[in-house]
Amino acid sequence: MDWSVLWSNRDLYASGLWSTVELSAAAIAACTLLGLVIAAIRTSRIPVLAQLARCYLEVFRGTPLLVQMLFIYFGAAYLGIGNISVFGAALLALTLFQGAYVAEIFRSGIEAVPRGQWEAARVLGLSRVQTFGTVILPQTRAIVLPPLVGQYLSLVKDTSIAVVIGYAELLREGQAIVDRDGHPGMAYLAIAVLYFVICSPLSVVVRRMERKAVTA
Amino acid sequence: MFADWTYALQDWPTYLGAAWLTLKLSLAAFVLACALGLLGALARRSRHALVRAPAAVYVEVIRNTPVLLQMFVAYFALPSAGLRLSPVQAGIAALGVNVGAYLTEIFRAGIQAVPGGQREASRVLALSPFRTFLHVVLPQALRNVYPAVINQLVQIILGSSLLSAISVPELTGTAMVINSRNLLTIQVFGIAAVLYLVLTNVVVLVAELIGRAAFKPPLRPMRPRQSVLAGLRSAARRLVLIRKEA
Repeated sequence: MDWSVLWSNRDLYASGLWSTVELSAAAIAACTLLGLVIAAIRTSRIPVLAQLARCYLEVFRGTPLLVQMLFIYFGAAYLGIGNISVFGAALLALTLFQGAYVAEIFRSGIEAVPRGQWEAARVLGLSRVQTFGTVILPQTRAIVLPPLVGQYLSLVKDTSIAVVIGYAELLREGQAIVDRDGHPGMAYLAIAVLYFVICSPLSVVVRRMERKAVTA
Repeated sequence: MFADWTYALQDWPTYLGAAWLTLKLSLAAFVLACALGLLGALARRSRHALVRAPAAVYVEVIRNTPVLLQMFVAYFALPSAGLRLSPVQAGIAALGVNVGAYLTEIFRAGIQAVPGGQREASRVLALSPFRTFLHVVLPQALRNVYPAVINQLVQIILGSSLLSAISVPELTGTAMVINSRNLLTIQVFGIAAVLYLVLTNVVVLVAELIGRAAFKPPLRPMRPRQSVLAGLRSAARRLVLIRKEA
């Protein structure tokens, strides 16, 4: 084994790693926001909106992320919406896909808060939005956080799917290196190590929070 | 608009064939994943650290790396280690090994949740440890985790779409080929998405029926993950009620 191949490609690995982190961070922020909004709509029982939110969940949790990404990336051009960038398409697909899962996580947390909390806050003269933000949401922390971080973990891994539409993230750079230098075993091992370095701290956090939630 | 759809739908035998391959692939990977998951769960509960450690490493490595990377390793990297797999074989292996790690944790939790008294009672009745596991612990553990296991099967079906990246002609890969020919992107991927929705819904429905028949006491109906069907069902029930009243 010639380890110098790894070192000589350090720039490609670094730029791939950075692209992965960039896409992950943007998608985590966006899908959390979307999930929160969808969960609020779902639990609000506003007639038409609540059903629409449900349909959104059905469609985006019942179809593969890859199909959604291809649909958005190639579909935008087909509909003449103009050229969506690879990053934009990957971000939008990741947000919509993971947002559906995040929404269900928030919903389970919100529904676990006793109804009386809502009523009490309303009696005290808080508006609906205030009640949701300052009374209900903080109480969902213990239930929501472990699965939420777990979902972020799967989001980070799912950024690799953007390779199919040509986003230059970690796996794409790995492919490029293999195409040029060969040694697929070593290149993919290096990529795996890099993913592991990002993901395993998240796993550790999830496990610790789960243990805490059980003992609390 | 309609002309585009009818044109895109002319390829329906190809879509259905590809969906059938997706289902076959997924079921094969699911069987492999269940076997690995059960072995992994037993290994993780072993008294010997030498048995526990490899299972723990397996779970950690697989769960902290992307499944697409695992597919690439199975298809592109294993040949240089002397193991040459066809795309379909590599795909089933990668998906099975991936989900096996998740099932290891699920089965482990299920086995752990069986009360210790069950084991003690079986020992008192002179059942061997093996029979205790097979006839007492395992059925209860499976009942505990059945919905989670079926959820993993759905994840396999969705994950199998990634096999298009290693040239398996499953539903997504086929859709990509058709799209590159007729350029009807919205229609082609729309049809693929609908077929995935049908596949996942049918699999969940069948699994629910099996779950209700196989376990005693019968499983409660699973949370309607797919509420399109649940909505239809409750609508039908309501219709029947209205008719009875009339």
